Amino acid sequence: MVYIPPLNFAPVISTEVLLYRSGFPMPLNYPFIKDQLHLRTVIYVGDKEIADDYKEFLDEQNISYHYIHMNSCLDPEIHQQMDRVLRLVLDIENYPILIHSNKGKHRVGVVVGIIRKLLQGWSTTGIYQEYGIFSGGLKGAADLEFITMFNTELTVDKRKLPDFVRNFEST
Amino acid sequence: MEDSLKGKIRQMMHEDSETLVRSLEREDGVLELKMGLDSGKFDVHNAISEDDDLKQELEDLIRKFYPEKKEFTEEDVDDVFDEDEYKAQSSAVRRSSVVEEVIPPENFSHVVGEIYRSSFPRPENFAFLQKRIKLKSILVLIPEEYPQENREFMEDAGIKLFQVGMSGNKEPFVNIPSDILTRALEVAINPANHPILIHCNRGKHRTGCLVGCIRRLQNWSLTMIFDEYRRFAFPKARALDQQFIEMYDDHVIKKNAHENNWLPIKW
Repeated sequence: MVYIPPLNFAPVISTEVLLYRSGFPMPLNYPFIKDQLHLRTVIYVGDKEIADDYKEFLDEQNISYHYIHMNSCLDPEIHQQMDRVLRLVLDIENYPILIHSNKGKHRVGVVVGIIRKLLQGWSTTGIYQEYGIFSGGLKGAADLEFITMFNTELTVDKRKLPDFVRNFEST
Repeated sequence: MEDSLKGKIRQMMHEDSETLVRSLEREDGVLELKMGLDSGKFDVHNAISEDDDLKQELEDLIRKFYPEKKEFTEEDVDDVFDEDEYKAQSSAVRRSSVVEEVIPPENFSHVVGEIYRSSFPRPENFAFLQKRIKLKSILVLIPEEYPQENREFMEDAGIKLFQVGMSGNKEPFVNIPSDILTRALEVAINPANHPILIHCNRGKHRTGCLVGCIRRLQNWSLTMIFDEYRRFAFPKARALDQQFIEMYDDHVIKKNAHENNWLPIKW
């Protein structure tokens, strides 16, 4: 059995909880997702309608699906959209999570950048570098600026925080 | 195409030599971008090394900027661990770092489970590796001696060092021997060593080969293995590395891995 991971697939967090990133999963990728990742939650940040076969696949696998409509980080409601993503990420019961966009470059790059910055305290250099690896080093000025400037305040259930966030808060 | 590329380099030499020299020193493809060659297909460094005249002209130019630099070594500079460069970059970043922040090494990423990859870790990355990743081992793929500073850090943090030195696939004559790679794989996929960080110098070529072979043990399609290889090697992907990943004979490692119950590798 040859497995075909989705475009730009990679683990983002693999200590205690599992968080993955990728481009839009295609039927070719279903066996990989099904046999290997055992997802509980999929978060789609994008603008395309979800295809029927994909919806079927997710239902079949009992994966809960969150469609967060996003064109780019310049959207007027970007703050609320990002808060919605973060709320899902801050709840340990949602893991393992896959966050995907269409190509797994820019929109996912922004979301991962925000997680790295706000929840893990990564340096800006490290965040930019990672964004560059997945975007192929191309046009990201607005995205990177957004990651740098974005901040938010959320009230979440402390008992449900994943360990990687807890560890960061306590340090 | 090659000729027009060289023409562009020459033109830039006359018009904006400072930017040219600065971009050549960096590894991030800025130069390719500037020239509108950002498809990843054209490697300016390669084009230069193929043309002796152009290389000579550039060396002269660089000497004007940096009288102390002896020669312009282009691509292979990636593969050689340069202690001076390492120290210079370390102190530069250390001065500007903020206390609460963690700084992952360049080209850092998760591979699978608690296997990680990166370029050569510098002192400013130590806190990240010790406190966040909680490393148990480091697997280094360079043949040169490991720096004292890193050794001391590892001793303090109780991190074990594995060194499997290899010289990287240099086109067209030098190849990584398969048995050496098998040895490296045995260290990398053994759960007893996890969390483990695999690194070489830039985290592009040798590390990319090893990670590619790990993906083969996970039964990934070659297309996606190469896609990942190129993402991390950008803009310096090597055909030979990809060929190596494809041709690597995984008989021995698969046998050992099955005997030890290392497969499938856990996410």
